[in-house]
Parts: sequence; structure tokens; C-alpha cells
Amino acid sequence: MKVFAFCLVFVTGVMLVMTAQDFPAWGDAHSAPNQYLSTYYIQHTYRDTAVPNIVTAVLADYRGFDTMFETSVIFCAGLGIAAILSFGPRNPKRRKRLGLPPSAEGDLIIQTTTRLLIPVTQLFALYVIAHGHHSPGGGFQGGVILAASFILLSLAYDLNMALSRLSDRLALLWGNGGLLIYAGIGLICVALGAHFLEYSALHAILPATDSVMARSHAMLGVEIGVGFTVMSMLFSIYTQLVSLGSLEDGL
Amino acid sequence: MNDQLAFFTVGIPLFGAIFASLAGLWRAHWCQRIAQTAIVGTAIVTVGLFLQVNEVGAVHYQLGGWPAPIGIQFHVDPLNALVLIVITVFAGLALWAAPTALQDELPGQERFVYPLMLLLVTGLLGMTVTGDAFNLYVMLEITSLSSYALVAIGKGRAAVSCFTYIVMGTIGASFYLLGVGYLYLKTGSLNMLDIKRVMLEGHLIQSQTSITGFILITVGLWIKMGLFPLHGWLPNAYAFAPHAVTNLIAPLMTKVSVYVAVRYMLMVFTPDFMLAHENWSDIGQIIACVAIGAGSLIAYSQTDLKKLLCYLLVAEVGYMVGGMWLVNPVAFKGVIYHIVSDAAMTSCLFLGAASVIQATGHRHVHALRHAAKTMPWTFAAFVLGFLSMIGVPPTCGFFSKWFLISGAVAEGAWWYVAALLFSSLMNALIFFRLVEMALFSDVAHPADEVMDMGKNGEAAIGLRLPLWVSSLFVLGIGLAAQPFGGWIERIVRQVGGWP
Repeated sequence: MKVFAFCLVFVTGVMLVMTAQDFPAWGDAHSAPNQYLSTYYIQHTYRDTAVPNIVTAVLADYRGFDTMFETSVIFCAGLGIAAILSFGPRNPKRRKRLGLPPSAEGDLIIQTTTRLLIPVTQLFALYVIAHGHHSPGGGFQGGVILAASFILLSLAYDLNMALSRLSDRLALLWGNGGLLIYAGIGLICVALGAHFLEYSALHAILPATDSVMARSHAMLGVEIGVGFTVMSMLFSIYTQLVSLGSLEDGL
Repeated sequence: MNDQLAFFTVGIPLFGAIFASLAGLWRAHWCQRIAQTAIVGTAIVTVGLFLQVNEVGAVHYQLGGWPAPIGIQFHVDPLNALVLIVITVFAGLALWAAPTALQDELPGQERFVYPLMLLLVTGLLGMTVTGDAFNLYVMLEITSLSSYALVAIGKGRAAVSCFTYIVMGTIGASFYLLGVGYLYLKTGSLNMLDIKRVMLEGHLIQSQTSITGFILITVGLWIKMGLFPLHGWLPNAYAFAPHAVTNLIAPLMTKVSVYVAVRYMLMVFTPDFMLAHENWSDIGQIIACVAIGAGSLIAYSQTDLKKLLCYLLVAEVGYMVGGMWLVNPVAFKGVIYHIVSDAAMTSCLFLGAASVIQATGHRHVHALRHAAKTMPWTFAAFVLGFLSMIGVPPTCGFFSKWFLISGAVAEGAWWYVAALLFSSLMNALIFFRLVEMALFSDVAHPADEVMDMGKNGEAAIGLRLPLWVSSLFVLGIGLAAQPFGGWIERIVRQVGGWP
């Protein structure tokens, strides 16, 4: 069986390598991916959306529907892990045998450093979310940094301390809320008679915006939604996993 | 409002999932109401969309207002409008049965199960409705992820089965994604119709990269639909999932993957592309024949009721893949008709199995002992589903086999015909084994005492009603086979570019 599997993998590998002969040359400016749609995005993004960062514009506007569902994927992962762990068959004996380590004595140096670090981390995360239009960044990255700050809190103190700041219930609420912000912005566009996620329609209700700036502002809105969902869901996944779903004192 | 219908097919279940999850934080019993309302709303929208598409032809919906290759586009033609209706109807039946099924198995988990179910339905509808190759991957991802979670919350071996499912499912999804990457590398576009246009205009369709992309996408979808040598994850995952979940995923997941494969064959790569490679059609049929034979044989050896049905499902996937690879309009008519009828059959059989297991408390096939006496109504619906599986007229299973066989005869694919007939025979053998247990239960059997059989009544009404409705679908789709099949053939010829 192992020999058969190896042969299969080998044949697939050879097939993929042979196909690579047919690829456009490395860095070929005239290849299809570099010519066809990329050119459009490079030439039109700023005019269409007033966002200088093309990646953000493609992510949140041109292909914003994909991004909404990527956010749903994260939401779904958090919900799924909560469903499996917190309501799964609970066997207290087994949990004891697996052994959650007793929480260690708090270390003064670590805790003091963390206290200094967390506000800066969170501020940076907000910057990353808000500045996604102009520099690398956006809701996913900012959300991860925000979640990291909460995880740092639970590492330096203990899980209960972090959960007292962002409880499991609140995390689920914010995860929902983030997705609702994203999909809600899309739905407002539908209510205004445009297509789903057609942000330019929002200029009718946003003060002092034309249809191009409306796209830019709406992108900020959806990035904030993504940030909420990513932050709360990643933190929720972390708390569920380290405590095997009990949400009691773990690390 | 009419031009927004395409969006609402995906939008209603998505918002339903969000609101069900929010409501679950306060009032868990609202989740069920929200989920059922959302699915009914979606069903109405899909029917409206179907009527609209039938009248005016294919509808395109531009998300974000960006025209096709720049942004993402929904592409609705009569074919996938039909699949949309199938998804919502049978998801609706599963959600109708869900409260009763969940009550026994997973009490108190409603606030997670219903949002995940709605996300699953959202993903399935999205996979069907989207016209964008990468968006299809995202939808595939959300479908898979929610089904992993739903399978894993089951009891017993569910977690282990789910792990196999996750590994295989991820490999399948990566193959699909790699295939889309190859197509993008050659064409620079992600929109399905645009990929086709660029490939045809630039004569790229027979290039090595396009062919490899096609193979990767096909194999990825084969894993996702559980075609025989790649089916390893399917029986355990579906059998050990909670009944409420099996009722939802078993009729729909494989069928939607089959539809996606049909779509790639007809809409992105043309039938001419398939026929240009002489031996591909043969290879596809050989794999399908092996799948049909193996699925039927393994099903015969099963003693777990749900697992038995799962192996029948594996054989059914073989039917559809074999039909696809005949590459002619009659066979494709058979495939599309089989997608509809197989959804009805599996929905009926799995709901029947769930009713029997719930009423008796056993999942062994012996749970059917005395069934004809103790639960005649449940058993009657189950029998109807099984007759359709064998292919007895006037149930829908007969007509789908008929269409597939007439397609195979036209191509002279006798092995495929033989495999279909063999599978019917095996299904009949399995059926008579089950019927013997249910009817001739006055012959004493050790199982009666061990399992305490023959003392239960009918299954709960909440399970029986959806079961009867699905059995009526089995009958109805069969009775309407002639006009319905004719309509499908006309659409298939139109989409595939056959005269």
C-alpha cells in the first residue's frame, strides 16, 4: 500500500513538474495574469475607489464578496470549535487525566511588561485596521493583532483575567456583530437600489461624499467588521482550546 | 426587486445564520424558528428565480456592481436554478425534521447547530449560484467547515470519522484551488465564462496547463463527492454524524459537487474538449463502473443501517460520474435528473433510517425487525425510497436509470450498462433482506431478545411528516419524468452547445 501511495505521489509530482514547462516565464510581464485584469486594477483602482492600496481595494471592494465569506469562514470556525468543545461529551475524569496545568504564580516582571505592551499593541492594531487603505494591513491583520493582545493578557495573568475583559459570550456577540457589519453594509446598498456590496450607492446617505469616496469609506467600515470578527473568534478559539472547552483556569 | 433575487438566494440563509447565532445568545429556542423561516424564504426566492430564468434566460448578478471579469458574478441559468430549488427543498425537509432529531441526540445545542446548518446551506447555494471559480472555492470552504463541525458534534466515533473527513476534504479543496490557480495562470481570469472565452480565443484549451488544471479540479471534486477509491471519508462521517446533520448533508453535499463537475464540463471546458481526448471518457467510465460495483457490494455486507445507506450513496455517485463521462446530451439529462431524484431518494432513505433508529434506539439493520407491524407508516415510506433505489417504476430511480442507460447505449458503453444493472440487482438483494426482517418477524430471531425489538411504536410525528413528504417527492418526480426529462434535455443541449 505504501509503495502504491508513493508511486501515485511520484506520478502526480512528475505531472506537475512537466506542466511547469508550459507556464509563462518567471517574471514575464506579458503573461496572462500580468496583462489582463491586473492592468485594469493598476490603472483604475485609484480612480474607481480613491484607495491607493490596490490589494485592499481588490480584497474589500472588487472581490468584497469573497472576503465577506472568508470572514464567515473564521466565524464558522469559532462557532464550530465552541460547539464541539463546550457541549461535546464531557468526561471529567478524562479531563483530569489530560491535566490542565495549575495556573502559575504571576511573575511581576512579565506582568508589568505586559501592562505596558498591551495598550501599544492594541493601538497598533487599530492603526493597522484604519490604515489598510494606504499601507499593508486591514481587518484580518488588525484583528489578529488585537486577539494576540488578549492572548498575551491570558498568558501573563491567567485565563479568568482575560475572560473578565472579553468573555466567551461577548466574543460570540462581537463575532456575530462583525459579520453583521460587513453583510449589513452590503444590504444597505441593496436597500438603496444598488447591487449587494455596491458601496458607491452609499453616497446617498453618507454626508459630504461622492460615489468614489463612498467606496473608500465603506471599505473602512467592512474592515472594521472583519477586525471585530477575527479578533473575537481567534480569542474564542484560543480560550476554548487551552481549557478544553471548560473556560476555566487553564494556562 | 426582481433583479435582486439571485443575491437573496445566498443572502437570506446568511443573514439567517447570523441572526440565529445572535438569538442563540439569549433565546436558544428561537434558533429553530429563525432557521426554518430563513429556509422557507429562500425556497420562495429560488422558485421565483427559477421562473424568472425560465422566462428570460440566464441571469447575471454583479456583486459590488463590478462587471464580470473584474468583480464577482452570479450566473443563474435554468440548470442551476433547478439545483437551487433541490437544495432548498431538501434542506427544508432536513430542518423540518431537525428539532425532533436533535431533541434526543444533542439537547441544548440548538444555538450552535442551527447557525452552522444555515451556513452549510449558504455555502451549498453559493457553490451552485456563483459564476466565479475562486468564489466557488470560498463557498466550498464554508460548506466544508460547517459540515466538519456538524459531523464532529456527534457521539461515539463521530470525532474520529470527522478527522478523516477533514484531512480528505482539505486535500480535495486544495486540489480544486490548485486547478483554479493553473487556469488563472493561463488565462488571467477567474470568471468561469471569461476563462472559457479566453481559452477558446487564445487556443489555450488544449495547452498542458489547462489540461492539468482540469484534471486537478476534477480529482478535487471527486474527493469532495466521494467517488469510490476516494470515498474513504464518506461512510463513517455521514453514518456517525447526528441524524439531523446526516439528513441535511447526505442528500445535498455529493449532489452539489456533482453539479459543479457538470458545470465545469459543460460551461468552462466544452464537451469538445472532453471528446478530444479519446481515452478520458473510457477512464472516467471504468472508474465509475468500479465505484458502482464496489459501492453496491460493500453496501451488501453492512450491518449498520446508516452505513449501508452511505455505501449505496457511494454507488450512486458512480452513476453520475459515469453518466457525465459518456459526454452526450442524453446521458447528461440522466445525470441532472439523477441529481434531483437522488436527492429525493437519499433524503427519504436517511429520514427513514433516522425515524427507525429513533423509534427503536438501535442502528443495526435488525432495528427494522417487526417494522412492518410496529411502524407501518414509517416503513412504507422507507420502502418507497428503497424501491426507487432499485429502480422500480414509477419511482424516480427508474427513470434516472432509464435515461442514463439510454445515454450509455447510444455511446455503446456496455460495461456501464452492466454496472447499472448489477447495482440494481444488488440493491434488490439488500432490499429483500431488509423486507424479510420487517415482514416475516414471526420467525424467532436472537436479535429480538437482545435488542428488545417489537415493542416500539411509530417514530415521532416530527420525523414522519418530512419522511412522507420526501417519499411523495420520490413518487412525484418519477411520475413527472417525461415532461421533466424533456425539459432538462432541452436545457442541457442549450448549455452544452449541442444541436
